[in-house]
Amino acid sequence: MGYVFAGYGITIASIAAYAGWLLRRARSLSSKP
Amino acid sequence: MSLGIAALVTLAATCVLGLTLPKTVEQAEYSRMIAIHPGIAWTAYVASSVTALASILWLWPRTRHERWDLLAGSSAELATLFTALMLITGSIWGRPTWGVWWVWDARLTLSALMLALLLGYDALRRVPAEPDVRARRSAMAALLALVVVPVNHFAVTWWRTLHQGRSLDLTPKDSLDGSFLAAMTLGFLAMTLVYAWLLVHRVRVARLEDARDDLALEAAIDERRREAIPVAGA
Repeated sequence: MGYVFAGYGITIASIAAYAGWLLRRARSLSSKP
Repeated sequence: MSLGIAALVTLAATCVLGLTLPKTVEQAEYSRMIAIHPGIAWTAYVASSVTALASILWLWPRTRHERWDLLAGSSAELATLFTALMLITGSIWGRPTWGVWWVWDARLTLSALMLALLLGYDALRRVPAEPDVRARRSAMAALLALVVVPVNHFAVTWWRTLHQGRSLDLTPKDSLDGSFLAAMTLGFLAMTLVYAWLLVHRVRVARLEDARDDLALEAAIDERRREAIPVAGA
Protein backbone atom coordinates (compact mmCIF):
# COMPACT_ATOMS: atom_id res chain seq x y z
CA MET A 1 0.00 0.00 0.00
CA GLY A 2 3.06 2.23 0.36
CA TYR A 3 3.29 2.84 -3.39
CA VAL A 4 -0.39 3.79 -3.59
CA PHE A 5 -0.16 6.24 -0.68
CA ALA A 6 3.02 7.69 -2.19
CA GLY A 7 1.23 8.27 -5.52
CA TYR A 8 -1.78 9.94 -3.91
CA GLY A 9 0.38 11.88 -1.43
CA ILE A 10 2.75 13.32 -4.03
CA THR A 11 -0.20 14.33 -6.25
CA ILE A 12 -2.11 16.12 -3.48
CA ALA A 13 1.03 17.73 -2.01
CA SER A 14 2.17 19.03 -5.42
CA ILE A 15 -1.22 20.51 -6.31
CA ALA A 16 -1.56 22.07 -2.84
CA ALA A 17 1.96 23.53 -2.98
CA TYR A 18 1.36 25.05 -6.43
CA ALA A 19 -2.06 26.45 -5.40
CA GLY A 20 -0.53 27.92 -2.25
CA TRP A 21 2.26 29.57 -4.24
CA LEU A 22 -0.28 31.03 -6.70
CA LEU A 23 -2.44 32.50 -3.93
CA ARG A 24 0.58 33.97 -2.10
CA ARG A 25 1.93 35.45 -5.34
CA ALA A 26 -1.45 37.01 -6.21
CA ARG A 27 -1.74 38.51 -2.72
CA SER A 28 1.79 39.88 -2.87
CA LEU A 29 1.29 41.45 -6.32
CA SER A 30 -2.12 42.90 -5.37
CA SER A 31 -0.84 44.54 -2.20
CA LYS A 32 2.00 46.46 -3.91
CA PRO A 33 1.13 50.04 -5.00
CA MET B 1 -14.80 30.42 -5.33
CA SER B 2 -17.47 27.83 -6.25
CA LEU B 3 -15.07 26.36 -8.83
CA GLY B 4 -12.45 25.96 -6.11
CA ILE B 5 -14.93 24.25 -3.79
CA ALA B 6 -16.11 21.92 -6.58
CA ALA B 7 -12.46 21.05 -7.37
CA LEU B 8 -11.68 20.39 -3.70
CA VAL B 9 -14.80 18.26 -3.11
CA THR B 10 -14.33 16.11 -6.23
CA LEU B 11 -10.61 15.69 -5.49
CA ALA B 12 -11.37 14.55 -1.93
CA ALA B 13 -14.11 12.20 -3.21
CA THR B 14 -11.67 10.77 -5.78
CA CYS B 15 -9.11 10.03 -3.06
CA VAL B 16 -11.70 8.37 -0.80
CA LEU B 17 -13.22 6.33 -3.62
CA GLY B 18 -9.82 5.45 -5.10
CA LEU B 19 -8.24 4.34 -1.83
CA THR B 20 -11.22 2.12 -0.97
CA LEU B 21 -11.36 0.28 -4.30
CA PRO B 22 -11.22 -3.53 -3.94
CA LYS B 23 -7.96 -5.40 -4.63
CA THR B 24 -7.73 -7.05 -8.04
CA VAL B 25 -6.30 -10.45 -8.98
CA GLU B 26 -3.80 -8.97 -11.45
CA GLN B 27 -2.53 -5.93 -9.54
CA ALA B 28 -3.71 -6.36 -5.91
CA GLU B 29 -4.07 -2.91 -4.26
CA TYR B 30 -1.94 -1.14 -6.89
CA SER B 31 -4.94 -0.92 -9.24
CA ARG B 32 -6.18 1.88 -6.92
CA MET B 33 -3.85 4.22 -8.85
CA ILE B 34 -6.48 4.16 -11.61
CA ALA B 35 -8.43 6.88 -9.78
CA ILE B 36 -5.68 9.48 -10.21
CA HIS B 37 -3.13 8.53 -12.92
CA PRO B 38 -5.41 8.53 -16.03
CA GLY B 39 -7.10 11.76 -14.82
CA ILE B 40 -3.70 13.45 -14.43
CA ALA B 41 -2.64 12.30 -17.91
CA TRP B 42 -5.93 13.54 -19.40
CA THR B 43 -5.44 16.93 -17.74
CA ALA B 44 -1.87 17.17 -19.05
CA TYR B 45 -3.27 16.67 -22.57
CA VAL B 46 -6.09 19.19 -22.00
CA ALA B 47 -3.66 21.82 -20.64
CA SER B 48 -1.31 21.25 -23.59
CA SER B 49 -4.20 21.49 -26.06
CA VAL B 50 -5.41 24.76 -24.49
CA THR B 51 -1.86 26.13 -24.87
CA ALA B 52 -1.82 25.13 -28.55
CA LEU B 53 -5.28 26.59 -29.21
CA ALA B 54 -4.49 29.88 -27.44
CA SER B 55 -1.20 30.08 -29.38
CA ILE B 56 -3.06 29.64 -32.69
CA LEU B 57 -5.55 32.35 -31.66
CA TRP B 58 -2.65 34.70 -30.90
CA LEU B 59 -0.88 33.93 -34.19
CA TRP B 60 -4.07 34.41 -36.25
CA PRO B 61 -4.14 38.17 -37.04
CA ARG B 62 -7.94 38.50 -36.72
CA THR B 63 -8.06 37.02 -33.22
CA ARG B 64 -4.72 38.32 -31.91
CA HIS B 65 -5.07 39.59 -28.36
CA GLU B 66 -2.82 39.73 -25.30
CA ARG B 67 -5.24 37.47 -23.37
CA TRP B 68 -4.44 34.48 -25.65
CA ASP B 69 -0.73 34.84 -24.90
CA LEU B 70 -1.41 34.98 -21.16
CA LEU B 71 -3.72 31.97 -21.40
CA ALA B 72 -1.14 29.98 -23.42
CA GLY B 73 1.65 30.71 -20.94
CA SER B 74 -0.53 29.96 -17.90
CA SER B 75 -1.88 26.72 -19.32
CA ALA B 76 1.62 25.59 -20.36
CA GLU B 77 2.85 25.95 -16.78
CA LEU B 78 -0.03 23.75 -15.60
CA ALA B 79 0.67 21.28 -18.43
CA THR B 80 4.22 21.03 -17.07
CA LEU B 81 2.92 20.33 -13.55
CA PHE B 82 0.46 17.65 -14.70
CA THR B 83 2.95 16.03 -17.11
CA ALA B 84 5.50 15.76 -14.28
CA LEU B 85 2.80 14.25 -12.03
CA MET B 86 1.80 11.87 -14.84
CA LEU B 87 5.38 10.58 -15.05
CA ILE B 88 5.77 10.34 -11.26
CA THR B 89 2.46 8.54 -10.59
CA GLY B 90 3.00 6.30 -13.62
CA SER B 91 6.44 5.36 -12.39
CA ILE B 92 5.07 4.65 -8.89
CA TRP B 93 2.35 2.45 -10.44
CA GLY B 94 4.85 0.74 -12.74
CA ARG B 95 7.36 -0.28 -10.04
CA PRO B 96 5.17 -2.88 -8.25
CA THR B 97 3.26 -4.03 -11.36
CA TRP B 98 5.99 -4.06 -14.05
CA GLY B 99 8.93 -4.54 -11.68
CA VAL B 100 10.75 -1.41 -12.93
CA TRP B 101 10.50 2.33 -12.25
CA TRP B 102 11.18 3.22 -15.85
CA VAL B 103 11.42 1.63 -19.30
CA TRP B 104 12.19 3.35 -22.58
CA ASP B 105 9.00 2.33 -24.38
CA ALA B 106 7.11 4.64 -26.75
CA ARG B 107 4.55 6.00 -24.25
CA LEU B 108 7.02 6.72 -21.46
CA THR B 109 9.70 8.15 -23.75
CA LEU B 110 7.22 10.46 -25.49
CA SER B 111 5.87 11.59 -22.09
CA ALA B 112 9.42 12.43 -20.98
CA LEU B 113 9.97 14.30 -24.26
CA MET B 114 6.70 16.18 -23.69
CA LEU B 115 7.89 17.28 -20.23
CA ALA B 116 11.28 18.39 -21.61
CA LEU B 117 9.58 20.45 -24.36
CA LEU B 118 7.15 22.05 -21.88
CA LEU B 119 10.05 22.97 -19.57
CA GLY B 120 11.78 24.50 -22.59
CA TYR B 121 8.63 26.49 -23.40
CA ASP B 122 8.36 27.76 -19.80
CA ALA B 123 12.05 28.78 -19.88
CA LEU B 124 11.59 30.55 -23.24
CA ARG B 125 8.74 32.64 -21.82
CA ARG B 126 11.05 33.89 -19.07
CA VAL B 127 13.66 35.23 -21.52
CA PRO B 128 13.31 39.04 -21.38
CA ALA B 129 11.74 40.50 -24.55
CA GLU B 130 9.10 42.89 -25.83
CA PRO B 131 5.59 41.45 -25.17
CA ASP B 132 4.88 40.91 -28.89
CA VAL B 133 8.24 39.23 -29.49
CA ARG B 134 7.75 36.98 -26.46
CA ALA B 135 4.22 36.08 -27.55
CA ARG B 136 5.25 35.27 -31.12
CA ARG B 137 8.21 33.06 -30.29
CA SER B 138 6.29 31.34 -27.47
CA ALA B 139 3.36 30.58 -29.78
CA MET B 140 5.69 29.12 -32.44
CA ALA B 141 7.50 27.05 -29.83
CA ALA B 142 4.18 25.79 -28.40
CA LEU B 143 2.97 24.58 -31.77
CA LEU B 144 6.26 22.80 -32.48
CA ALA B 145 6.39 21.24 -29.02
CA LEU B 146 2.80 20.11 -28.83
CA VAL B 147 2.96 17.91 -31.92
CA VAL B 148 4.10 15.28 -29.40
CA VAL B 149 0.70 15.23 -27.63
CA PRO B 150 -1.39 13.36 -30.24
CA VAL B 151 1.54 11.04 -31.04
CA ASN B 152 1.84 10.26 -27.31
CA HIS B 153 -1.91 9.59 -27.06
CA PHE B 154 -1.84 7.05 -29.89
CA ALA B 155 1.56 5.58 -28.94
CA VAL B 156 -0.04 2.58 -27.19
CA THR B 157 -2.00 1.77 -30.36
CA TRP B 158 0.74 2.39 -32.93
CA TRP B 159 3.61 0.62 -31.14
CA ARG B 160 4.03 -2.38 -28.87
CA THR B 161 4.57 -0.87 -25.41
CA LEU B 162 4.83 -2.08 -21.82
CA HIS B 163 2.25 0.55 -20.95
CA GLN B 164 -1.32 -0.77 -21.11
CA GLY B 165 -3.71 0.27 -23.86
CA ARG B 166 -6.34 2.95 -23.44
CA SER B 167 -7.93 2.85 -19.97
CA LEU B 168 -11.33 3.93 -21.24
CA ASP B 169 -12.65 1.92 -24.15
CA LEU B 170 -16.19 2.52 -25.27
CA THR B 171 -16.50 -0.96 -26.80
CA PRO B 172 -17.85 -3.60 -24.39
CA LYS B 173 -14.97 -6.08 -24.74
CA ASP B 174 -12.41 -4.39 -22.45
CA SER B 175 -14.74 -2.48 -20.17
CA LEU B 176 -13.69 -1.84 -16.57
CA ASP B 177 -15.55 -3.03 -13.51
CA GLY B 178 -18.19 -0.50 -12.38
CA SER B 179 -16.43 0.79 -9.24
CA PHE B 180 -13.11 1.22 -11.08
CA LEU B 181 -14.85 3.02 -13.94
CA ALA B 182 -16.64 5.33 -11.46
CA ALA B 183 -13.39 6.14 -9.61
CA MET B 184 -11.53 6.81 -12.85
CA THR B 185 -14.34 9.00 -14.25
CA LEU B 186 -14.47 10.98 -11.00
CA GLY B 187 -10.68 11.34 -11.22
CA PHE B 188 -11.02 12.81 -14.74
CA LEU B 189 -13.60 15.31 -13.45
CA ALA B 190 -11.62 16.21 -10.32
CA MET B 191 -8.34 16.83 -12.19
CA THR B 192 -10.13 18.87 -14.87
CA LEU B 193 -11.78 21.06 -12.20
CA VAL B 194 -8.45 21.45 -10.35
CA TYR B 195 -6.83 22.49 -13.64
CA ALA B 196 -9.63 25.01 -14.37
CA TRP B 197 -9.35 26.55 -10.89
CA LEU B 198 -5.55 26.77 -11.06
CA LEU B 199 -5.75 28.24 -14.57
CA VAL B 200 -8.08 31.06 -13.44
CA HIS B 201 -5.62 32.00 -10.69
CA ARG B 202 -2.52 31.58 -12.89
CA VAL B 203 -3.99 33.94 -15.53
CA ARG B 204 -4.79 36.45 -12.76
CA VAL B 205 -1.19 36.28 -11.50
CA ALA B 206 0.12 36.71 -15.08
CA ARG B 207 -2.03 39.85 -15.50
CA LEU B 208 -0.77 41.26 -12.18
CA GLU B 209 2.85 40.52 -13.19
CA ASP B 210 2.36 42.31 -16.52
CA ALA B 211 0.76 45.31 -14.77
CA ARG B 212 3.68 45.47 -12.32
CA ASP B 213 6.20 45.35 -15.20
CA ASP B 214 4.33 48.14 -17.02
CA LEU B 215 4.38 50.33 -13.88
CA ALA B 216 8.09 49.69 -13.37
CA LEU B 217 8.79 50.65 -16.99
CA GLU B 218 6.75 53.87 -16.71
CA ALA B 219 8.56 54.78 -13.48
CA ALA B 220 11.96 54.22 -15.12
CA ILE B 221 10.97 56.40 -18.13
CA ASP B 222 9.72 59.18 -15.81
CA GLU B 223 12.99 59.06 -13.89
CA ARG B 224 15.01 59.40 -17.10
CA ARG B 225 12.86 62.35 -18.19
CA ARG B 226 13.42 64.12 -14.88
CA GLU B 227 17.17 63.59 -15.24
CA ALA B 228 17.05 65.16 -18.70
CA ILE B 229 15.42 68.43 -17.48
CA PRO B 230 18.22 71.00 -16.91
CA VAL B 231 18.32 72.44 -13.41
CA ALA B 232 17.92 76.28 -13.40
CA GLY B 233 21.20 78.11 -12.65
CA ALA B 234 23.33 75.01 -13.08
